[in-house]
Amino acid sequence: MGLPLSYHWGNLLVRKTTTLLTIGVVAAVVGVFAWMTGFASSMNRSLSFASDTGKLIVMKSGATAESNSAIPIDEYNRLSQLDEVARDPKDQQRLASPEALTQVQLPRTADQGLTRANVAVRGVTEMAFRVHRNVRMVEGRMFATGEPEIVVGRKAADQFAGLRLGDNVELGYAGNRAYRVVGYFSADGGPMESELWGYLPSLLNSYQRTMYSSCALRLRDGVDPAAVIERIRGPAIQLTAQTERDYWLSQSTLIQIYLTIVSVLVGIMSLAAVFSIANTMFASVAGRSRELAMLRTIGFPRSQILRSVVWEAVLLSLLGGVLGCVGCMAWLRLAGDTKDMFGANTFTSMAFNIILTPWIVAGSLLLVVFVAVIGAMLPALRASRIDVVTALREA
Amino acid sequence: MNFGYILVQNLRRNRLRTVLTLLAFALPMAVFVAAISLVVAMARIGKENEKHLRLAVHHKTTITNMLPEGGRRKIEALDPTHTRIAAICGTRWFGGRVPDTQNTLTSLAADADTFPLVYADSEMTPAELEDWQRERSGCVVGKVIAEQYNWEKGRRVTLNSTVPPYLSLEFKIVAVMQNPTKANYFYFRRDYLQESLKSAGSLQPDLVNIFWVKCNSVAELHRVQPEIDALFANSPDETKTEDENAFFAGFTQAAGNIPGLMQAMAVVVVFIIALVAGNTMMMSFRERTRELAVFKAIGFSRRRVFGLVLGESMLLALFGAVLGVLPAAVGVMYASSLMPASMRSFGPLTQLRASPAAVGASLGIGLAVGLAAGLWPAWQAMRMRTTDALRRVA
Repeated sequence: MGLPLSYHWGNLLVRKTTTLLTIGVVAAVVGVFAWMTGFASSMNRSLSFASDTGKLIVMKSGATAESNSAIPIDEYNRLSQLDEVARDPKDQQRLASPEALTQVQLPRTADQGLTRANVAVRGVTEMAFRVHRNVRMVEGRMFATGEPEIVVGRKAADQFAGLRLGDNVELGYAGNRAYRVVGYFSADGGPMESELWGYLPSLLNSYQRTMYSSCALRLRDGVDPAAVIERIRGPAIQLTAQTERDYWLSQSTLIQIYLTIVSVLVGIMSLAAVFSIANTMFASVAGRSRELAMLRTIGFPRSQILRSVVWEAVLLSLLGGVLGCVGCMAWLRLAGDTKDMFGANTFTSMAFNIILTPWIVAGSLLLVVFVAVIGAMLPALRASRIDVVTALREA
Repeated sequence: MNFGYILVQNLRRNRLRTVLTLLAFALPMAVFVAAISLVVAMARIGKENEKHLRLAVHHKTTITNMLPEGGRRKIEALDPTHTRIAAICGTRWFGGRVPDTQNTLTSLAADADTFPLVYADSEMTPAELEDWQRERSGCVVGKVIAEQYNWEKGRRVTLNSTVPPYLSLEFKIVAVMQNPTKANYFYFRRDYLQESLKSAGSLQPDLVNIFWVKCNSVAELHRVQPEIDALFANSPDETKTEDENAFFAGFTQAAGNIPGLMQAMAVVVVFIIALVAGNTMMMSFRERTRELAVFKAIGFSRRRVFGLVLGESMLLALFGAVLGVLPAAVGVMYASSLMPASMRSFGPLTQLRASPAAVGASLGIGLAVGLAAGLWPAWQAMRMRTTDALRRVA
């Protein structure tokens, strides 16, 4: 026979203030934890959507990002003739996409335009939509090659101002060429969704460029990317290639730093929550040693008492956990769930939406249970070892 | 049996609780110190930069668009007598990578003649200045970089540029900058870069990213700022001029706004310790209601009982704060040496020092929390009716 749940509730309710204060501590820790995991997972999700293994990003040797890479057109031509590049089955064109990475400063919507973000503007040809398979139009239409028009990634449209359909964005070297937003595209949540895409020759002209920045290649099925990377580095081409996954991972170092700092701090705070729960449970056990002794007398085994204390702590912390998650959601709703950060070398922002998925909530509650069990361990042991006779005799 | 003695005895009574409370108090307190230290470090860098009265003049659209170097003369013409503008230094981003690493240094080519004046915070000695003027491939390196790669004065080092045309240049270190605000920088002479760009066949060897304009006074700084933008208005290269802190604020924001994060953390942490301390005081008070009633019965004044509970709370908070603050204060000093190189590229992280201000503020916050947490139980203790409390079963 186990102790009914209502017994634990009752215990928690008897010491209302203490219970509430402890719940508060747990809630604060869980709130920060949930925010952090929300951020981390949205970043990982975004990067994982950009890890097409059949795709290579080629840059000039020495460049650290597409934005500081410059590939002369003749070098691009040699590159696109590579045998390992796949051909489109329909028209036999080689799936190589020359691209130019430029940027524009746009106001952030999160702070009503108080600060501005550097947003990537990518000049592409129609080929880009064949090489980057995850990119597709979701609203509006493609840009027309003869018009100053751009299409905008969904996240960019969300996080930066002035990107509604029909809006004009001032692009170009001097920021005086108006491009009209005619459509939105999705990249399955990948980093390209934070970008603006326009027609390559038009953008090259507007930005006074004569060279491409980078080139994306789709490899033939069954080709080993490592061997192709080696070929591209070789004497015939002399460029640097990376798989898309490696490229975006190398750009996420700033974000990793940020997350490292937060997780160290959250770790320390979780430890504080452990001590806080231990404190509360010790007091709870001490306050009802007679009661516990009574339970022992009427036949509850030690293990039952032990479990009962742990259960109580878990219940208490779960309440805190739920409160923390709700608080975090409220915070995201109030303060905004958007966050953008520079890639390590891109000099342009990658935008994220911090979303508390059911998995993150579950993870946070798991942390809570873990913290509660650790915190309750010693008090529970003490409770189960109560000397029945002395405890009953106590006033 | 004096007041202090009772306080200490009370804390020693339930040692387990005191220890747990101290730990639960000290850990978030340590987080608080770390957070506040970073905020203080950033503020200090900002303040230091402010002193140097520098304006950043860059291309209106983005700093990656470069300006022709002739812009310097045009700005100088605003003030031919040097009464308002002390000097102007053009800088160009080199983005040098240390060979065989992934670390791009904040490396910039700067006008050789005006660099020592505009960047007086590089704090070169007269002998070093002479070397800088004489040695064409001379460079000055921040302390953090020098320590990281074991570079010392006089050594020749190579950097590989990460921007077109990806030059690989060799430099001779003429000075190591000790000033914390310059600890992450690498400066070298722009004439050396120009020459190298020319021989590499670059079409644009004479462009710069930013003109740093050092003004003579705050008033002049504010006056010169719009004048420069007006000067270049309607030209092919319109400019945006902002003061140094405004300029760097954009980068801080883009790096995820770490100071903002730290401030938020500090608030959460204060909330946590307040609850922890409050919890302990409530528990102690509850268990000792009768005892406090006895104190009252044997003639302790209401004020004294109030002080007893409040004092215990504050003493506990003080211990907890000290326990958290001191190790953390020592810890943050070493934090930067434990960081990976990529983290150290974020300047303020390397300048983490638990300043007296940060330590003082943390201890103050701890005490304030102790005060707040003790108020309610102390109030209750003062107000309770002795007879009721004596009758109550704990």
